Amino acid sequence: MTTVAVGYDFSDHAHRAAQWAAAYAQRCGADVVLVHAIGLREHGEPGNPLVELAAVSAEIAAGAGLEESRVRGALDYGDACSVLLRCASAPIDASLLVVGTRGHDAHAGLLLGSTSLEVAEHATIPLVIVPTD
Amino acid sequence: MLILGGPGSHEGHEEEGHPERPERVTAVLAGVGDLDLAGDLVRVEAREATRAELIAVHDGAYLDELGAFCYGGGGDIDEDTYATYDSYSIARATAGSGLAVVDELRRRDAGVGLVVTRPPGHHALAGRAMGFCLLNNVAVAAAHLAAAGERVAIIDFDVHHGNGTQEIFWNDPRVLYVSSHQVPLFPGSGMSKEVGGPDALGATCNLPLPAGATGDVVARAYEEIAAPVLDSFAPSWVLVSAGFDAHRSDPLADLALTSGDFGALSHFAAQFTPQPGRLAFFLEGGYNLQALRASITDTLARALGEDRASEPPSSGGPGHDAVVRSAALRAAALEAAHDTKGTP
Ligand SMILES: [Zn+2]
Repeated sequence: MTTVAVGYDFSDHAHRAAQWAAAYAQRCGADVVLVHAIGLREHGEPGNPLVELAAVSAEIAAGAGLEESRVRGALDYGDACSVLLRCASAPIDASLLVVGTRGHDAHAGLLLGSTSLEVAEHATIPLVIVPTD
Repeated sequence: MLILGGPGSHEGHEEEGHPERPERVTAVLAGVGDLDLAGDLVRVEAREATRAELIAVHDGAYLDELGAFCYGGGGDIDEDTYATYDSYSIARATAGSGLAVVDELRRRDAGVGLVVTRPPGHHALAGRAMGFCLLNNVAVAAAHLAAAGERVAIIDFDVHHGNGTQEIFWNDPRVLYVSSHQVPLFPGSGMSKEVGGPDALGATCNLPLPAGATGDVVARAYEEIAAPVLDSFAPSWVLVSAGFDAHRSDPLADLALTSGDFGALSHFAAQFTPQPGRLAFFLEGGYNLQALRASITDTLARALGEDRASEPPSSGGPGHDAVVRSAALRAAALEAAHDTKGTP
């Protein structure tokens, strides 16, 4: 079974990317993993991102007409870029990475501050960057 | 004698509500003040690290980009890391103050160095800012010393793995990198099987520890795993990435050390210096201001040969099994790497 990994930080851009990934997965029979990076500051903050991810996963699956089990959440410690790049290997073994982009908010022409461009530079498997309308 | 350096003005590097804040320096300086050093305190003038000094560690394109980002007004680089208009110049002065402290120690052949960094450095990669860090201060100093023919051991007891420092010296046999840190935790690296690149096998030594680990467990990891590695490396300099976020009161992690435990780690590090004036501490993390103050005092007191502790050492936490497992995983990784290289 092919796995599509989506970088998920609970932003609108990430949500849009997850929706795109689920629609794609529906067409080609893939599973979707919403991967959330726990950064330096997030550790110790209240709330359980895994519970929140499960709720989002169910919503994304329903929206794309996928069985609930085909969209799941995963947590990993690190910066968003490194965490997403690690999805290409075990245990997630994704064959496609999907990220949202802040579009016009991104710092034009600069890699700095843009997870999508940073991932694009280092990705070892295909990457889809989903723009926000 | 304490040789004290820092970026001078650093208040321009600040973001509202961020834990890596200017008050950390105030706490560190209060901790130094608690030592009552009087004439035994030497302040070293800050200078900005030159491009040539930074490029020994960082990609030129990254330095250009970071400069442009800051002078364009700065902002959030990632979820954790920010930069302001002033940050590039402050970061260069911080890295430069590390060089100034090291040069002063070398000139005097005496004293212990303390570099009060802001921003911290050990997460900064050759080509990327992350984890509150912009430039890798300890790496810039280590590269400067290595270029002068020194053998440099970096001992990193910050609660987070110093992924930037490890990456920079991964395949460099002139620099030994030893790190104790909580796992799992940001940045997600620092496993025992990470032992260095083909030209520097064994010159990376990771000591991952579980949440709740106390000083006795951390000390055991250093004594049983790191001490033999440090002995055989025989450093001519010891630089310490001194983060104090492994303190039990720190809000960003879950190890259970006391300020007295940092004193013991300081004493451990000092044993491996071959002569006076070859030991310098570089501030990394530490976000509880009271804990930071007491830990700095105890760390420096022990390095300066004074036997005192604001809080007694801790013991009884989990992780002894993790130390045993770590030793086995490291040995297996080294054996596998040597087999691949075709050496006995
Ligand atoms: Zn830290």
